[in-house]
Amino acid sequence: MNRKSAVLLIAAALVFAAAAAAGAQARPGEITLMTWGGDFVPRAIIEEFEKETGIKVHYKEVTSNEDMQSLLEANPDQYDLIICTDYMVDILRQNGMLEVLDKSQMPNYSNINPVYLNKYYDPESEYAIPYAISISLLLVNQEEVERLGAKPITTYSDLWQPELRSKVVVVDWSVEIMGIVLKSLGYEYNETDPAKVAEAREKLFALKPNIVRFETNTPEDSLINGEAVAGFMYSNQAVKGNAADPRLQPVFPTEGMPIFMDCWVMSKAAPNKEGAYQFLDFIMRPEIAAEIADITKFTTPNKAAEPFLPEDYRNNPMLNLPDEVVENTSFYIGVDKVLVEYEHIYTEFKLR
Amino acid sequence: MSTWKRNLLAAPVLLWIGLLVGVPMVLVVALSFLSRDNLGNIVYQFTLDNYRRVLDPIYLRVFWNSLLLALLTGVITLLIGYPVAYISANLPPRRRALALGLIMLPFWISSLLRTYGWMILLGNTGLINNLLLALGIVDRPLPMMYKFGTSLVGTAYMLLPFMVVAVFNSVDKLDRSLLEASYDLGASRRQTFFHITIPLTLPGIVGGFTLVFIPALGLYFVSDLLGGGNTVFLGNLIHTMATRGRNRPLAAAFSLGMVALALLVLSLYWKVSKDKSGEALFQ
Repeated sequence: MNRKSAVLLIAAALVFAAAAAAGAQARPGEITLMTWGGDFVPRAIIEEFEKETGIKVHYKEVTSNEDMQSLLEANPDQYDLIICTDYMVDILRQNGMLEVLDKSQMPNYSNINPVYLNKYYDPESEYAIPYAISISLLLVNQEEVERLGAKPITTYSDLWQPELRSKVVVVDWSVEIMGIVLKSLGYEYNETDPAKVAEAREKLFALKPNIVRFETNTPEDSLINGEAVAGFMYSNQAVKGNAADPRLQPVFPTEGMPIFMDCWVMSKAAPNKEGAYQFLDFIMRPEIAAEIADITKFTTPNKAAEPFLPEDYRNNPMLNLPDEVVENTSFYIGVDKVLVEYEHIYTEFKLR
Repeated sequence: MSTWKRNLLAAPVLLWIGLLVGVPMVLVVALSFLSRDNLGNIVYQFTLDNYRRVLDPIYLRVFWNSLLLALLTGVITLLIGYPVAYISANLPPRRRALALGLIMLPFWISSLLRTYGWMILLGNTGLINNLLLALGIVDRPLPMMYKFGTSLVGTAYMLLPFMVVAVFNSVDKLDRSLLEASYDLGASRRQTFFHITIPLTLPGIVGGFTLVFIPALGLYFVSDLLGGGNTVFLGNLIHTMATRGRNRPLAAAFSLGMVALALLVLSLYWKVSKDKSGEALFQ
């Protein structure tokens, strides 16, 4: 490169830097959220908040926890509040990206069910406020299962029945599929003991003929259109499947289920912390939390919201999770220790 | 104009390419030699582990899958695209523009939507199966989704226009007097086609193949949606490693493996077409 083009390059870099800096200015009277798309924080609720407080809410949609992390770490002063999944709270907390929340600014914090506090990702509940809870479970068309000559499905182990050939749909993620196998063997998630992993590997391979499709976003569709009779999916997807076809019923596998918590966290460099606290307190109001839960179809951790929930929500075991189901759930902890190994096994499994 | 001044005119483009292609490429190469900690953060510590994993026999089969998909995509688009391009290029000028327009028209619609279109066509309750059932040709839906072949159909469909346009240009430039000479000398249409037309349009064929092969390696959403995740391709693997797998160094090493495959095909292109500047690819 000659000197002229080097000068040009530096000039261009400076222009970029200036543009980035201009975007980072604090704007009073505004807050910026970063979260999932698809009305995860309902627009109707945001409008209500804007009308009441006069604070303008910006909404940045992302599609993965990892995108969230990259965006936040690149520009921590551009976002006030972020919703991310439990394991990402853990990472952001340990990377020092998060603000310790001042509970005195949020009187409604006391509405949160203590069952959902002090989890592994935030042992002292300093950084995160649980927002939406979901589990993974089986959605089953027992009528069709019977028609295929298989026995009714009540456990993960029932998915291995040879009658179910090409009739099972599962979410596409090594840790979760290995999780099904480990649980069916009576082990815990993210097992690292080589002997147990080797045992799980063999059992996993035996499941291959029964799987028709790996699908993370809309697995319930495969049950609705009949190409599968049983599916392992997230509870909000199972709710949709059940609403579309009442023959599709949830099965809570007796071996135990994974649980996921999407939580609010605040960027340490949040430009408008005051506004952010106002927003958090607003969405923790019982009637607002109930409205959110009904729109998003996720389980709410807000205990005080219960009386405000519509009847069909309260009677739905996938939304209003019974205590014995919640007691039978666990988090995927320590994914990093197992991931490379599990991905390798999973790839081999798919190549079969 | 002096050489110096002429070169300066190219500076903006070179700068553009340098910033947006060169710099990221260098970063990917650097990243592929780094480690990561338990939280998925990059650690600046040199390692060859990522490459050791890429060369694992299981992952080499993923490379093979991708290579096969890309090669077959090239062959299918050639078989369908050549006749289409040949016929369109020989149309009268007005109709020719129309034909070319129609070939390019699908680009106006998001490729994701067009992929969903294939799902509506091929699904168990899709149009084709409903038609076959209604006509009594089959008594239960033909399973056409979630197979290697489904991914292949989707990928070939997606990339067909690249092949058509590449061949079209080369047929367009074909010197018609050579064909007449061939007929005058008593050659049949068939002989003329195989001995005159094909060799003279070879740059277009090879160029089209290259333009189809390289993107076919990376269209992972097609195999995710149409293949139902049943076949693992390089694109899927890199996507998983870079996102949920939180292993960007390993993803970088896999990406460079993909670049190597693409370079392999480009070098074949250079050899066959003797087009060192790559001009024919963009004509």
